[in-house]
Amino acid sequence: MRYWRRRHEPFDLEAELKAGRPEPSPDFVRRLEAEVRDSGRTRVGGRLRVAFVGAATAVMLIALSGVGGVGYAASAGHDAAVSVKRVVTPGDVVKVLKRSAAIDQYGPKKKAKKKVKKAKKKGKGAKGKVRARTRPPFTG
Amino acid sequence: MRRDPLANPEPLIRRVYSYVAYRVGDGPDAEDLTSETFERALRYRRSYDPNKGEPIAWLLGIAKRCIDGRGPVRELASEHADEPVESDLEEDTVRRLTVARAVGGLEERDRELIALRYGADLTARQIAELLGARTNAIEVALHRALGRLRETFGPDADSEPVRKREASR
Repeated sequence: MRYWRRRHEPFDLEAELKAGRPEPSPDFVRRLEAEVRDSGRTRVGGRLRVAFVGAATAVMLIALSGVGGVGYAASAGHDAAVSVKRVVTPGDVVKVLKRSAAIDQYGPKKKAKKKVKKAKKKGKGAKGKVRARTRPPFTG
Repeated sequence: MRRDPLANPEPLIRRVYSYVAYRVGDGPDAEDLTSETFERALRYRRSYDPNKGEPIAWLLGIAKRCIDGRGPVRELASEHADEPVESDLEEDTVRRLTVARAVGGLEERDRELIALRYGADLTARQIAELLGARTNAIEVALHRALGRLRETFGPDADSEPVRKREASR
């Protein structure tokens, strides 16, 4: 307060508050600014890297699809998946798809099909009637 | 595209530092708190919403939380400073020390308002948005805080009302 009392001239408090506000040291400002800017750059660099990888993948896919590489890759992938499935699946059972004479004789027996009897028609048919007519009559 | 709140950090650093230094005192504590504020800002920069206010208001909100999280301020750093002697110090330095000491003698609430208005250079309206108060209430509170500050400076200080200036903005 001595400072103000020593100077006997009117002063604008608000102007003094603005002019006399604490300022950071230039070194501190430089250091912190560099830190903030570096952090931003790293973020942008990361995004650029991701964009580059995406673009490279797209270009490769387009180039491959032009020569049928996509179908080839898909079938190769499918074959690989089938192979893996065969190895991984427990209880590997080989099914014989074709029939042969050996399978018919020695292979697992098939269950016999039940024959469905056709229901006989009750009553005399036209055939019975004819027989009855041709047979000689019973005389005892 | 999302706007980067820290695209131009230099003026933001100065304003945040001035605010923090008015609150806790000029020196290493203020530097630590300013660094902490920007560290958090970098971590949560994606959470910044330009619709809610300017980057400086967002940063000051973070700085305020950093200061509050530190607990009660023991003593303002400027109180440890040597008595300003006009012969061996620049006038500017003397002014800063005197102003800082006067602000340091205020109540916490008054110091907060003075720091936001004259340290961070916010308008009364921006302060009101930051503190969740009405602009008119902030203007009145600022006027009273300045009145109390004038008392510490003595009768030499002029008495131009702050409200008149705030209204002219």
